[in-house]
Amino acid sequence: MPYACVDMRDMSKTRWLILLGFLACWSAARAQDVVLVANKGVQISGIRDSDLRAIFTGEKTRFADGSHAVPVTLKGGPAHEVFLKNHVREDPDEFRAQWRKAVFTGQGAMPKTFDSEAALIEYVAVTPGALGYVSRISPQGHDNVKCLPVVK
Amino acid sequence: MLRRLPLFLLVCLCTGRLQAQSLEGIEIHGFVTQGFLFSSNNNYLTMQSSAGSLAWTDGAVSVSDSLTDKLRVGIQLHMYQLGQLGGPNLQLDWASGDYRVNDHLGFRAGKVKTVIGLFNDSQDVDAVFLWILLPQSIYPIDNKSFFLSHVGGEVYGRLPLGSRAGKLHYDGYAGQATFDLTGGYVKQAADGGLVFTTAPGGKIYGGDLRWESPLTGLTVGSSARVQALDGTAPGGSVHVAPTFISTEYAQFEKGKFYCAGEYRRFPLNTIVTIGPAVIPVPQDARSWYAMGSYRLWKKFRVGSYYSHYVNKALDTSLPANYAKDWVVSGRYDFNSYFYGKIEGHFLHGNGLGFYESTNPNGLKPNSNMLAAKIGFSF
Repeated sequence: MPYACVDMRDMSKTRWLILLGFLACWSAARAQDVVLVANKGVQISGIRDSDLRAIFTGEKTRFADGSHAVPVTLKGGPAHEVFLKNHVREDPDEFRAQWRKAVFTGQGAMPKTFDSEAALIEYVAVTPGALGYVSRISPQGHDNVKCLPVVK
Repeated sequence: MLRRLPLFLLVCLCTGRLQAQSLEGIEIHGFVTQGFLFSSNNNYLTMQSSAGSLAWTDGAVSVSDSLTDKLRVGIQLHMYQLGQLGGPNLQLDWASGDYRVNDHLGFRAGKVKTVIGLFNDSQDVDAVFLWILLPQSIYPIDNKSFFLSHVGGEVYGRLPLGSRAGKLHYDGYAGQATFDLTGGYVKQAADGGLVFTTAPGGKIYGGDLRWESPLTGLTVGSSARVQALDGTAPGGSVHVAPTFISTEYAQFEKGKFYCAGEYRRFPLNTIVTIGPAVIPVPQDARSWYAMGSYRLWKKFRVGSYYSHYVNKALDTSLPANYAKDWVVSGRYDFNSYFYGKIEGHFLHGNGLGFYESTNPNGLKPNSNMLAAKIGFSF
């Protein structure tokens, strides 16, 4: 059997993490969830749901490793609604109202928003610390974007 | 109003094209609202509301930029007209530098919004509320400029207490707060014969502590503020010794349902001097409200609240010393930017929001009121 020839012990830790990340993203896409995408410079290999919510509500500005997080969102659409419902536990109106409050009280800056997933991925690719979401893994992928699994 | 309507439409059209512009990191946002008030018996908030009045326009533009990942600067300019209050001049809502050391500690300096209770710092952001008028017992709209912000500094942060104990949000501040020369307090003083040409003001310090409980959606908190005030007018002066104001509050949100309540005690010993006369103005305000709302459909919310104010330092059987307000409200969001609101008020007493100059024949104890508002925010 060909696969029996692969010695799992030879796989480096990085390869394991890539494999786990891929499986997490694949299962997220299968389960009608969104796929989190981050700039490749982001050092963490996964993100807790509570941290994800805190970053997208402006409570936190940093990842668990202390590096700066730059949340970005889609302007609307099913992926936007699914992300907010599953991970921020808000609907788009509540999400917008909360950020409006932060903006008009001088307590925060609204996340950058994008009309399309392609534009969002392009921005994530060139912006250190950027974190966003798309509806599915892009078949072409992107060299400077990595998929980030959510740890419950 | 006919002069302001084209301005309102122009702002909507121009800002519609802006759509929260981001010019290389610079964020520009704004809002504009137009209100209508119709009341029975008395004129409310310096408007000729018993005849129906549209003299209620609000607008603001904020610009902010993140200079580094820890430092952000911003400014917000605000214009409002509420009957005889406010005017065409732009006011500085806030202008501050915000240095966030980490998620547990940050500093703001400049003219910063003052955190008191659930809504003080956001009470001018109409777009985020279901209500046209927040409970007036605690958030009097005719004097919001005075409470809204102060010149000084603020330290803030958030402390996680563990997965089973929730989070603690803290905020402490100190600085100087001044009356708005076009606001309600100055107008009331002018109605009484004391015309201020320079704004009375005084030192303030205080803080807010709120606990985000492990029960999702439940927040409980308390605010404290110490306020002093002095002002001199050509015909006299006003003096308020440092006064302690306390506020306790709670809110709960689950799905489409929201409820909140707040209690404030505001004791005040004001000494007004007009010519040779020294007039003590005692106040021991006890204010509270309870509110609830429900999202019926995606774009339509309804709610109700009861707001209660009574001045315990005076005869509480007189309508001038209490204000009780039953309110029903509805809001419809046409899209992400435009919304409309409608609200009914059943007011008992006239301790808040009524002015002698717009009610020259005296006040009746009760009024009913219909309020409507449209708004645009980007």
